[in-house]
Amino acid sequence: MRLLLVEDELDIQSFLKSSLEEAGYQVAAASDGKTAELLAVDGVFDILVVDLGLPDMDGISLILKLRQLGVRAPVLILSARRSVDDRVRGLEQGGDDYLTKPFALAELLARLRNLLKRNSPTGNEATKLRVLDLELDLLRREATRSGEVLQLTSQEFVLLEYLCRNAGRVVTRSMILDKVWGMRIQPDTNVVDVHIYRLRGKVDGKGQAPLIKTLRGVGYVLGGS
Amino acid sequence: MFSAEARPLLHSAAWRISAWAALAYALGTLIVFVSLHLYVASDIERRDDAWLTGEVEVLGDVAERTPKGALYQRVVEEVAELASHEVPNRVAGESAPKDAVFFLETDTQGKLVIWVGPGKSDPFLDQLRPSHAGNDAPFTIQTMGFSLPYRVVRTHIDDGSTIYLGLSDRDQLRVLHMFRLRFALLWGLLVLFGFAIVFATTRRMLGRVLSISEAAARIDQNDLSARVPASLRKDEIGQLAQTLNRMLDRIEAAMHQLHTITGALAHDLRSPLTAVRGNLELSLTAAEGATRQEAIIVCMEELDRLVDFLNTALDVAEAKADALRLNREPIELDQMLRSMAELYEPSMNERGLTLRLECTEPIQITGDLALLHRLFANLLNNEMVHLSTGHAVTMRLWREGQLVRFSMEDNGAGFAADVLERVFEQRVRGAGSKGHGLGLAFVDAVARAHGGTVHAANGRSGGARILFTLPAQSGQGTD
Repeated sequence: MRLLLVEDELDIQSFLKSSLEEAGYQVAAASDGKTAELLAVDGVFDILVVDLGLPDMDGISLILKLRQLGVRAPVLILSARRSVDDRVRGLEQGGDDYLTKPFALAELLARLRNLLKRNSPTGNEATKLRVLDLELDLLRREATRSGEVLQLTSQEFVLLEYLCRNAGRVVTRSMILDKVWGMRIQPDTNVVDVHIYRLRGKVDGKGQAPLIKTLRGVGYVLGGS
Repeated sequence: MFSAEARPLLHSAAWRISAWAALAYALGTLIVFVSLHLYVASDIERRDDAWLTGEVEVLGDVAERTPKGALYQRVVEEVAELASHEVPNRVAGESAPKDAVFFLETDTQGKLVIWVGPGKSDPFLDQLRPSHAGNDAPFTIQTMGFSLPYRVVRTHIDDGSTIYLGLSDRDQLRVLHMFRLRFALLWGLLVLFGFAIVFATTRRMLGRVLSISEAAARIDQNDLSARVPASLRKDEIGQLAQTLNRMLDRIEAAMHQLHTITGALAHDLRSPLTAVRGNLELSLTAAEGATRQEAIIVCMEELDRLVDFLNTALDVAEAKADALRLNREPIELDQMLRSMAELYEPSMNERGLTLRLECTEPIQITGDLALLHRLFANLLNNEMVHLSTGHAVTMRLWREGQLVRFSMEDNGAGFAADVLERVFEQRVRGAGSKGHGLGLAFVDAVARAHGGTVHAANGRSGGARILFTLPAQSGQGTD
C-alpha cells in the first residue's frame, strides 16, 4: 500500500512515517502543499494522510486541488482543531475521514484500514467470522468457542464482533466507544474496561487460552499475533 | 489628573450649560416682554383715543349750543381748559403741563377761530390742514417745535366749523418708558438669578460626576477593591455610581476567578507533566523491561487525561463566549440515554451503585449528538466518582409541553452547601474531588448552547439532583 503523508511538523512526520512503515505502508512524506502536489501527480497512491495546517496552503485546498488533478485515493485528514469545521465535514461525506490531534496510533491505523476497505468493495460480506477457535455467526447472532455456544447479550455480541473484525490489531477504548456505542467521548472512568472484563469472562472460559488481551495505556487486542 | 481648581471655570461644562440656559431664558422672557409691550402700547392708545373722542364730542356739543358771540370763545376755552385737567395716564398729584392738550376750532374756510394750547397755533394749523380728509378716526401729527407727537381727534359741527382736540403722547410714552425701564431691570435680575441657579446646580451635579471619575481613575489593576463614592440619592448620578460599583464588583470577582483558575490550571497541567517527565526518565534508566513498559504506559494515561482536560476546558471557554458550534441533528434522546445507561451500568454495578432509567415515551430533540453524549457521560462520571457504595442513581426523562426535562438524582450525601451555589462555575469542585472542576461547568455550557437550562439541588431525600431542561425543538437556534 502506497501512502502519501503530508505533515509539516517534522517531529510528527518522522514518527508517523516510521509507525506507518512498520504497519506495512510504503510512505512518501511531504512537508508542504507544493511538494505534496508534485508527489501526488508523479506517483500513484492508495491513500493520503493530510494535515490541515500546512505552511503554504490550507489542507482542504490541497485536497480539492488534488481531486481536480484526478487523484482519487481516499484522504485521512489530521486536524489540530477540536471542533471539526464544516468543510472537513463536507469532505467526510465525500468518503474521506478525519482525526483530531492528538490521536492513538492504533486509531490512525484502524481508520486507514477502514478507508481502504471502503474504497475497494470486496464482494459479499462474510456471514461468519473465525478467530482461532472462536466463531461468530453474523446472521444468527451467535458466538461459539470450541463449539460451545456463548451466552452473550446483543451488546456483547456487537463488541465481540468489532474485536473479531480487528483481530490481531489493537483497538483503543475510544475506538470501541465510537464503533460499538456510537459515542465519540473520552471516558475518564473504566466504563469500557468493565464491558471487556465481562465479555472476557464469557469468552475466555476456565482452562482456555485467553483471547482478549489488554494492552495497558493503549487498548485491547483479540487473538494472538 | 484633573482637579476642580485646576480646571478653568470658563471651560467647565457647568459654565457652558448655564450660559446656554441663561441665553434661552433671556430670549424667552424678552419675547414675552415684547408682546406685553405691544399689547400695553396699543391699549394705552385705545384709551387715549376713547378719551379724545369723548371730550371732542362734549366740546362739539358745547360749541354748538353756545351762541356765537363774545362769550362763545370764553365758554369753549373754559371747557377745553377743564378737559386738559382730565388727561389720562397722568401721574397723580402732578400738575398738568401746559403742552399736554390743545384745542383748535376752524371755520368753514379753515381759518382759525379758537386756539387753546401751547405756543402759537400756526404750526398746528399747518399740520392739520392737509389732513382734511373725510373720516374722523384719530390720527397722529408731528408738530414743528415740539419733540413729541400729538394724537388728534376732530369733529364737525353744524355751522361748518371743525373742532380739533389734540393730546400729547408724552404721558403715554412716559408710561411705556417706565414699563421698559422696570422690565429691563427685572429682566437683568431674572437672567442673572436663573444663570446663578443653573450654574450652581450643574456645578454641584458635575462635581459629583467629577469625583466619581476621579475615584474611578484611582482604581487600577493593583487595587480593584476601591469603590466610587455612592450617594444615597437615587438620581441618575447616584445610579451611575452604583452601576460603576456593580461593574467593579463583577470585574473584581472575575479577576479573582481568573487568579483561581490560572492557579488551578497551573496545578492541573503541572502534575501530569511532572508525572510524564518522571516516568519517561524512569523508562530510560530502568534496567527491567517491565518497569520501563509500565512507566511508558503511565505516561500515555497521563497524556490522555491531559488532552481530555484541555478539550473540556476549551469547550467550556468556547461555550462561555457563546462560540460553541453545534452540529444539530435529530436525536432520539430516550434511546441515546438507554444506550448510555447500558454503557455505564456494568461499571457502576462494579462500584456497588445501581442505575435506573425511567422514560415512558419516545422523545426526540434536535441537538449536537457528540456534545450531548459528553454531557451525559460527564453527569454519569460524576455519580461514579462521588457516590459511595450502596447508593442508587435514577435518571428520568419526560416531556412537559414544549420542554423536555431530564433529571438525575441519587440518594447519596448531596452537594455540600458551599459548593451547591457555584456548582456550575468553572473550577469549583467538592472537597476531596479529584476532578478538574470542569464537569458541571461543561454541562451548563452545553445546556445553554442548546437553549436549555440546568439546575442543581439537593433532593427531598438529601441526595444530589440535577435537572436539565431543553426545548423540544431547539432547531430554531443560531446554527
